[in-house]
Amino acid sequence: MEGIIAIWQRDVIKFFRDRARLIGSFAMPFMFLILFGSGMSGAMSSMMGGANQGPLADFDFVQFMFPGIIGMTVFNTAIFSALSVVQDKEFGYMREILVSPMSRVSIAIGKVLGGSTVALFQGLMMLIFVPFIGVSISFVMIFQLIPVMFLVAFALSSLGLLIASSLKTSQGFQMIIQILIFPMLFLSGALFPLSGMPAWMNFLVKINPLTYSVDMFKKIILQPDQMAPALREAMGLDLTVFNHIITFSEEIIVVALLSIIFVVLATMRFSRTEA
Amino acid sequence: MGNIVEVSGLKKRYKDFEAVKGVDLYVKEGEIFGFLGPNGAGKSTTINMLSTIIKPSEGMAKVNGYDNVTEKNKVRASIGLIFQESTLDEKLTANENLMLHCKFYGIEKQKREERIQEVLQIVDLTDRRSDIVETFSGGMKRRLEIARGLLHYPKVLFLDEPTVGLDPQTRAHIWEYILKLKEKAGITIFLTTHYMDEAEICDRVAVMDNGQLIALDTPEQLKSNVGGDIIEVSTEDNQTAKKIIEDTYQTEVTEMENNLLSFQVSKGSEFLVEFVKQFDIPLTSVNLRRPTLNDVFLHLTGREIREETVSQKDLMKKNMQRGPH
Ligand SMILES: Nc1ncnc2c1ncn2[C@@H]1O[C@H](COP(=O)(O)OP(=O)(O)OP(=O)(O)O)[C@@H](O)[C@H]1O
Ligand SMILES: [Mg+2]
Repeated sequence: MEGIIAIWQRDVIKFFRDRARLIGSFAMPFMFLILFGSGMSGAMSSMMGGANQGPLADFDFVQFMFPGIIGMTVFNTAIFSALSVVQDKEFGYMREILVSPMSRVSIAIGKVLGGSTVALFQGLMMLIFVPFIGVSISFVMIFQLIPVMFLVAFALSSLGLLIASSLKTSQGFQMIIQILIFPMLFLSGALFPLSGMPAWMNFLVKINPLTYSVDMFKKIILQPDQMAPALREAMGLDLTVFNHIITFSEEIIVVALLSIIFVVLATMRFSRTEA
Repeated sequence: MGNIVEVSGLKKRYKDFEAVKGVDLYVKEGEIFGFLGPNGAGKSTTINMLSTIIKPSEGMAKVNGYDNVTEKNKVRASIGLIFQESTLDEKLTANENLMLHCKFYGIEKQKREERIQEVLQIVDLTDRRSDIVETFSGGMKRRLEIARGLLHYPKVLFLDEPTVGLDPQTRAHIWEYILKLKEKAGITIFLTTHYMDEAEICDRVAVMDNGQLIALDTPEQLKSNVGGDIIEVSTEDNQTAKKIIEDTYQTEVTEMENNLLSFQVSKGSEFLVEFVKQFDIPLTSVNLRRPTLNDVFLHLTGREIREETVSQKDLMKKNMQRGPH
């Protein structure tokens, strides 16, 4: 137990000490929100039929993107947190960890929790953008967001660890993660509404775990229940699987199950690491 | 006192290459045991098997009475390990590195502060406690690693080339600490080195070459096995001189670097007087000395360990591995 905390603590200390990374982590979300978001919002509204009135007039692309950007930040940070595992192998610290009497399972869990915590902080830091984009976030929402972010981060950190455990170089790890995370991100509804897609793409979207994660953030922040059905439809907020509109609790279950699968696989894989 | 390390028939194969070819040895409690051998001899591989880092392909090893394969965690709790390459987290402070180590080894909360102070004092780093390790010199990092390895009061401390790449002064310092340790804590020390002078300090030395132990004894005994004194001469015609010496004195002459011819005789000083008087080829230098472990190695393998080239190469290797952070 002590060991789990120590491993976790190390990652958290290092996260807060690395100023450059802390500041740099705002760069991508900022570009997406301001450049991509603002740039696209005109095009988006005209695609929505140029509606100046009626329910679609409320469509604001930047606001739409905001939960997706939080999601993106959490995914990236969480999955990339496992980079530290590969770096520890490269720089030798992994040996210090592996020759200690701690069990491999505690080490793996500590690493996943460390990555999840860091990703949670990063996700929460994105709330700094709130005043500039006109969404309103209540304290209740923040308290809902925290456990959801953590759950999602936990799943992605575990996936990261699973991949990192099989690799020896940071370059290899970074490449694989890029190849993996980009399509997952694009097919998750984080960056554009999931409406009117071709069937094959729809299929990929539905088997993508990030879709359900992003949708949870949307449900908390955008409050689709209070929207006009037409607007909800245009924003692609009615996520359906086999004609069933999937609920928030079902999404929690999906992501929780995935977390369990990933963390078990990652722990098993990590336990076979030789120093 | 009992044996704290027992090894029999230990082998390690990498694909079709056998890095360690069956090692048998024991280490007594409280002993300083040295592992001497050239690059690639299999020293690190053996130490890594003893410390549960890698799995032996064959054979058995026991540390502190625990089996290295079936009781890994108990072995790990009984040993301290200083690797050939640095394993500090350089982005953290010395204190953080030590504190994490305490937690990894489950040292009780109340004892941590005291232990950290104690080990920092041993290696003289008390005043750098809250500095980031990145800002330390190579020697300071090495000392910090040794301090960290001691935190959990290991029964056996494994040191893989503890002083490689350090200047002579720092090397001497580190040795002072190691000896202090042995006296104070009664720790058993198992180290590898290719510095002869370091091997001299050990209670017993195992000489390793090509994955095999070719000798194992006290440094004195090893040297006396060489048989007498070493004469080193250089002449104006080394080739002829070599032949003449071999024919006249029935001894094997080795050509060393720096144009030296080296051979052994039983009574050095008396021999030398006669030799200089009789020898026909003009001599440019003559030297008589007691055998060193380098001669032991030469005697056993017909090769020198070559400290200088080795340490240069290692320095490069080390720099590359540490890499830019
Ligand atoms: N993971 C590995 N895969 C294949 N061969 C290896 C591996 N590790 C070591 N070897 C080989 O085993 C041999 C012994 O290596 P080892 O590191 O034990 O030597 P050493 O005595 O410690 O040398 P040095 O003085 O350079 O540290 C070398 O020939 C090396 O190339
Ligand atoms: Mg070595």
